Amino acid sequence: MFNEKGQVDAVSKLQTPKRDTELRQVWRHLRRNRMAMAGLIVLVIFLLIAIFAPFITQHDPIQRDFGRALDLPSEEHILGNDWLGRDNFTRILYGSRISLAIGLISVTIGMLLGVPIGALSGYYGGRFDILIQRVIDILIAFPGILLAIVVVAILGVGIENVMIAVGIASVPIYTRLVRGSVLSVKEQGYVAAAKALGIGDARIIIRHIMPNCLGPIIVQSTFQIATAILWAAGLGFLGLGAQPPDPEWGRMLSDGRQYIRTAHHLTTYPGLAILFMVLGFNLLGDGLRDALDPRSRKYK
Amino acid sequence: MKKWLFGLLVLLLLTGLLVSGCPAEDVTPDPDPDPDPNDVPVDVEQDLVIAIGAEPESLDSLLMNSAPAATVSEHMIETLIYLDVDGTLQPSLAESWEPTEDGLAWDLSLRQGVTFHDGEPFNAEAVKYNLDRFMAYGDFEGQTAAIYAFLLGEVNEFEVIDEYTLRLHLNQEFAPIISHLSHSFVGMHSPASLGALGEDEVLEAPVGTGAFKIVSWDRGERIVMERNEDYWGGAPELETVTFVFVPEAGSRVIMLETGEAHAIMAVPPTEIDRLEAEADIDVVFEDSVRVIYIGFNLEDERFNDVRVRQALNHAVDKEAIIATIFQGVGSPSSAPVVPAVFGYTQVGPYEYNPELAMELLAEAGFEDGFDIELFHPTGRYPQDSTVIEAVQAMFAEVGVNASLTTYDWGTYLDTVIVPPEQAEHDLYMLGWGTVTLDADYGLYALHHSTQWPPRNNVSYYANDEVDALLDEARVTPDTAVREALYAEAIQLIWDDAPWVYLHNEGQVNAVRSNVHGLIHHPLENILAWDAYIE
Repeated sequence: MFNEKGQVDAVSKLQTPKRDTELRQVWRHLRRNRMAMAGLIVLVIFLLIAIFAPFITQHDPIQRDFGRALDLPSEEHILGNDWLGRDNFTRILYGSRISLAIGLISVTIGMLLGVPIGALSGYYGGRFDILIQRVIDILIAFPGILLAIVVVAILGVGIENVMIAVGIASVPIYTRLVRGSVLSVKEQGYVAAAKALGIGDARIIIRHIMPNCLGPIIVQSTFQIATAILWAAGLGFLGLGAQPPDPEWGRMLSDGRQYIRTAHHLTTYPGLAILFMVLGFNLLGDGLRDALDPRSRKYK
Repeated sequence: MKKWLFGLLVLLLLTGLLVSGCPAEDVTPDPDPDPDPNDVPVDVEQDLVIAIGAEPESLDSLLMNSAPAATVSEHMIETLIYLDVDGTLQPSLAESWEPTEDGLAWDLSLRQGVTFHDGEPFNAEAVKYNLDRFMAYGDFEGQTAAIYAFLLGEVNEFEVIDEYTLRLHLNQEFAPIISHLSHSFVGMHSPASLGALGEDEVLEAPVGTGAFKIVSWDRGERIVMERNEDYWGGAPELETVTFVFVPEAGSRVIMLETGEAHAIMAVPPTEIDRLEAEADIDVVFEDSVRVIYIGFNLEDERFNDVRVRQALNHAVDKEAIIATIFQGVGSPSSAPVVPAVFGYTQVGPYEYNPELAMELLAEAGFEDGFDIELFHPTGRYPQDSTVIEAVQAMFAEVGVNASLTTYDWGTYLDTVIVPPEQAEHDLYMLGWGTVTLDADYGLYALHHSTQWPPRNNVSYYANDEVDALLDEARVTPDTAVREALYAEAIQLIWDDAPWVYLHNEGQVNAVRSNVHGLIHHPLENILAWDAYIE
């Protein structure tokens, strides 16, 4: 039992349940947080809506019906019709696809660019770090949505470009965040040990440093998706985002404005949809931040 | 030490005074710095604010190109002849006009005793200066003529006979010349003000003879004008007139309701009923001379086949657009010009028939339809982007997928009015008001092959037969013959379908009931020189 082989077995057995416990601890903690669970439920609902939109409604989001233009909510059109007679409810359902896609893809873009830059900048330090950080300073000086507008102005309007623009606009945030984490992690003993063992820089960053920066990245990403959805809706509202006939919520808000006195359902419901989706991500992000921080877990 | 402290205190105090003093001065400019003790105080401030959708692209006669520019300009820069609301030509800066016996020249007798806002005298020399500049004649030879130079295209010389008589020499008899002189863009600026312009300088402060003088022009915001006390027609009641540019129709309505604006143009159709029910707001309906259309880029080879062009015309349900989007204001286009225009012949509208449209497309080899780039302005024409969205949906129903590109007015004109090699669009939306009420203006400028961009034949339309008819009609004095020539030209153009014909616009403006005397002109101008606030 205490032979060499047995010892190794015991260690590996010990490690596996330990990892499970880590995840489980996070989940347990998250589950106790009512607000976070509310956020998660909202997001799951939106996800299901996005996936199953065609099964929830029998209408088409871009099929016009002039005879029913600007109809108020009724049994057949539960959230009314827009100025071309398109079903408002259906458009909002399909709109969740666009918003979720923009949120997820743009954050992925921001992460793919921002995390490596931040990691390298933090790990190597020196002149390289100074150079990168000054560029990031310049980018941070612009409010995110302004930066996104600039990028859209260069690339042209459209959903794909909005994703890229919002992604680029969130690069500085990731770079700063990851650089900070890397700076603190790289001073740890095990990093020094790995270096002493002659392990290459790339391996050290990927295997030993990045896993310990994961928590802040996950939390930031949750918040960043919310921000990205808001920015995209803002761009849509300004006419720089999704183009007609795509049912993008921000665009629906802006187009519905002129009917706000006579057909408020065209602005109220897309507005509520944006509100709930953003709220969902924010609540979940708050919960994750507490759950992923070992200190806050211990004291609760 | 004490001295040092004292000095600092004085400095702080001075800075404080400067900081607090400056904005206050800017915000409330004293309209009358030297008040006359005999001035009778007026009950109501005579400061009129009008909210319109688009900003003038310029106030220089050479560069003006839209009704918003004409609307603002008319208050400051006058024309020789005024086209009245009822369509008659009235004396303005010219008191009378007379053709010579052979019909190859016109003598204009100018109004005497008129001065420009800068004190320069108005006389035949001043008119010659303006018209020479407009046409790039005489002293201006070699320079760029006005965008609207075609208006006076048959004039080869402006001759000063005496101080108040000017003779226009024509190449040949030119029927619409007097109507053309009434065009808002053939305005009279003070020659001194134009001469002072630098090489690449843009005219910011027009100096004319009009009822109002410019005070300021904040780009993208507003143009403020003040009363011209020495106006030859009698100084207006209003102290100031301000045009504010508000592309969002809903915002214009709110400005009217809160009293921030006294009058607005282009009321959104969905708001008409509600505004009519309000006691202190009057809704004004007026005809318009404007047609709204979607032009083809005829250099695109997919549009070479006339069946494709006709197919898209059959694909659009004009009646439904008028009924739904405009709540019944306006009518489907039945010719390239509106019925009020001399020379109009009814040849349409194109019947709404999606099946026929698909058949025509299939015959032309587009069974599966195609993709197009459709450019359009926003805030310029009533409900422009909504109309385009409806058209996009209708095109899609016959298999033509349009992706939309939206521009604000200023950028839009620069984007679509370009030579063929620079065109990024396949189709574009524009409107055209035949503001001379003569078909020459509506047809020649948009369909003659000499009028390609930078002028207004934006579709690059060229048809020798149409060219010949339009050329002949503009030099034929006999009105019956002219009408026949235009009828023929209109039929040819209509069958060629260089545009997707949409609708004849109707105007819906709204005014607060305590404002009287505003002129709502069919040319889509709103004019304030006779207005007052009660």
